[in-house]
Amino acid sequence: MAIIAVLLGASGLENFGPSFWGFNATNYGILIFVIGSFLTSVPALAIAMVVGLGIGIASATYLPRILAAWLDPFVDLLAGIPSIIYGLWGYLVLGPFFGQYVFPWTSTRLAFLPGLAANRLSPAPNGLGLALAIVVLVLMVLPITTVLMRDALKSVPRDLWESGLALGATRWEVTRRVAIPYSKRGIWGAAFLGFGRAIGETVAVFMVIDQAAKIPTNVYGGTSTMASLIIGSIDAAFNLNASGVTELHFLAELALVLLAITLVVNVAGRWMVRRTYTEVAGL
Amino acid sequence: MSAALPPDGAILSVDGLGVTTRDRDLLDNISIDFSARSLTAVVGPSGCGKTTFVRSLNRMTELTPGLRIRGTVRYLGQDIYAKGVNPVVVRRRMGMVFQRPTVFPMSIFENAAFGLRIVRADDGEVDRAVAEALQRAGLWDEVKDELDRPALALSGGQQQRLCIARALAVRPRVLLLDEPTSALDPGATQRVEATLQRLKEDIVLVLVTHNVGQAARLSDRIAFLHSGRLVEVGATADILERPREKLTEQFITGRYE
Amino acid sequence: MATATLPGNLPVVDDLRRDRTGHVRGRTIADRLVGWLLPLLYLVAIVPILDLVYWVGRAALPTFTVAVITTDPSGAGGGLYAPLVGSLTILLFATGFSLLFGFFGGLATAEYLAERVAGVIRITANVMAGTPAIIVGLFGYIAFVSYFGWGFSLAAASVTLGVFMTPYVFRATDIAYASVPPHIREAAVGSGARPLQYLMKVATPIALPQVLSGVFLAMAIGVGETAPLYLTTTTVALPPLGFFQPVSALSLYIWSDYQTGFILPIAIHRAFQAAFLLLVIVIGLNVLVRIVASRSRRRLEGLYQ
Repeated sequence: MAIIAVLLGASGLENFGPSFWGFNATNYGILIFVIGSFLTSVPALAIAMVVGLGIGIASATYLPRILAAWLDPFVDLLAGIPSIIYGLWGYLVLGPFFGQYVFPWTSTRLAFLPGLAANRLSPAPNGLGLALAIVVLVLMVLPITTVLMRDALKSVPRDLWESGLALGATRWEVTRRVAIPYSKRGIWGAAFLGFGRAIGETVAVFMVIDQAAKIPTNVYGGTSTMASLIIGSIDAAFNLNASGVTELHFLAELALVLLAITLVVNVAGRWMVRRTYTEVAGL
Repeated sequence: MSAALPPDGAILSVDGLGVTTRDRDLLDNISIDFSARSLTAVVGPSGCGKTTFVRSLNRMTELTPGLRIRGTVRYLGQDIYAKGVNPVVVRRRMGMVFQRPTVFPMSIFENAAFGLRIVRADDGEVDRAVAEALQRAGLWDEVKDELDRPALALSGGQQQRLCIARALAVRPRVLLLDEPTSALDPGATQRVEATLQRLKEDIVLVLVTHNVGQAARLSDRIAFLHSGRLVEVGATADILERPREKLTEQFITGRYE
Repeated sequence: MATATLPGNLPVVDDLRRDRTGHVRGRTIADRLVGWLLPLLYLVAIVPILDLVYWVGRAALPTFTVAVITTDPSGAGGGLYAPLVGSLTILLFATGFSLLFGFFGGLATAEYLAERVAGVIRITANVMAGTPAIIVGLFGYIAFVSYFGWGFSLAAASVTLGVFMTPYVFRATDIAYASVPPHIREAAVGSGARPLQYLMKVATPIALPQVLSGVFLAMAIGVGETAPLYLTTTTVALPPLGFFQPVSALSLYIWSDYQTGFILPIAIHRAFQAAFLLLVIVIGLNVLVRIVASRSRRRLEGLYQ
């Protein structure tokens, strides 16, 4: 861990300066890519949290055990698909589908919502851009958030559940007022770890985001995340010998920033999840 | 069965109750009535069906998949298992307290208020009911100045009395207690028992216990269960001093097994 | 029915079917509604996964012949023999590397290290398991390709992927050995077993299934990775020639076919064929994980981080 950080740092620290934190991408400004990363990860995480919580509640509370045992592996399977396959499918199948059927609809009927109206360039028929990246990221983050929240909800002690029901509460009331507060740490952990996965995702995002060093003016436009910029620019960095050195340093620094973010997020997430388990084991 | 009160005075009357899993009987043909202002202790060796019995009184049994119920349980003459009766309504009439304290992850006040919040009672009513319930549970003097503290900060005995208060706050006519002191130390047990002693002046208490001493201290009646059958039921003094059945005698004198 | 002399403050007439105090109807309907609607969210997971598998199958299978896995790529077409062998070779060495550090590291942490040190190492491993693959790849490039001068090669790719897989193997090993029940250890030590005997004869047989499932899981995660390989090797149309020669991989072929823009339809077919082979390997490994893990209790959570 430390070795990785030191090496990345050693190969790039000379560039840290005012321009590094600036907006100017051609002059190695980082801010565009930080914003691009958050623009993709935060909405994707939000959706994956809501859907994951719903699936977790359904699995832990409502579905007959046999049915849940059949359905849950589908969610688990989402985690097993390599990201390059998500990228391929997103680029060739999902993109055209959204570009031709979904985005034309959302960009006209839902145009009153901020960011959803069309502009001259987007949505394009190939569907590539920020919105598609969010859709693909939702699928990639969903298994993490779902499984962690499902486990947290399932670890609510049976007695606690039954006490709620014995007071004449419905299952939904016990879920909302008892089980979710009880699972708070696990839910936060799911959010942190899901965010760590989303912000670090590289090839799949690159393939569907219509890579461009800009902040899009609507949700369908192309942009770039820190991770997708690294994989997208690495060829140039390898090939341009003399001037490429600077570029590589810049990418290493970008990686360092990304590493710092994922580090913080993962430490926080791990701490939350671990605590949830020990709390349960202590009961 | 002679000690059972006549059905017309009964709040809860159980008739021919049986609970079965796919391959065996957990309870078989149990008939007993519970009338107002009484505490009935349900005793018996572990695995005799005590817990299943109290759980079948407020339809908690249906949370366990695969259990089948026979016979009837009547609350004020109405079959609680009848079609069209919502278990949510039934459970509201019968509070339940579990072996271990099961306080919710919220403040002391909100714990006690839980049953009222879910039916959207107005704030004034909640305040009144919570104060009354905490007083009835004998917890008010200890917590009245710290109602906003998390309930998990209370001691085990206080938590259990909070659970009793929480059940009382919706003003049930019946309180079902499933070995409520088995996880508590002697001091805490004594305080819970004092609370129950007072409550039985007021409502119907059904207390499951494996502790004959506790039954002797608290109950008006003892029902002795063995292997899912109601062996004997009668006034506490009669059962303790002149049990009619050999099994009962063995159990209360500690010579069982 | 009921009379005013009843205890409690419930309504005097207490009809279970007509409860007017509890908003019972609305609450019950809300509960039912939630019970019907929430399971529908499973569709968010199930529809895409079926669609993805369907399209990979539909695009790969009609043109899938034995030649796909027996001939080398040529131009935009040809078979996938070289990348398949390349992927498996990288995986083999990477697994070896991750076992070396992950297994023995996990063993030491669970069995020998002081609790304080072990705690720090555990947190590090947990956090490393969440490090983005692209960062590990960039590290691999800077360290192995560039600094050690291995160039784009099998060695650089294997070690980089090995670094990426290590925390998963580490965690599985650590948890597996740490979860051997204390009374078993005490019984073994009490009956005079020496530490090595305890480890070989008692702890390892108990822990092994869990370790194995962790290793298979790390392999399933590793074999599909693209970013670490892209930064440490280059696509070649030949099977691996040596440690310090470039080596190809299935994921890299999908990536490079994508980069050339899928101008030719055969490039699309080849990309999907590679995706199909990857899916078969990944799903196969995941099935192995489940089979092995079903013997030992295992925390599902480990699957994902």
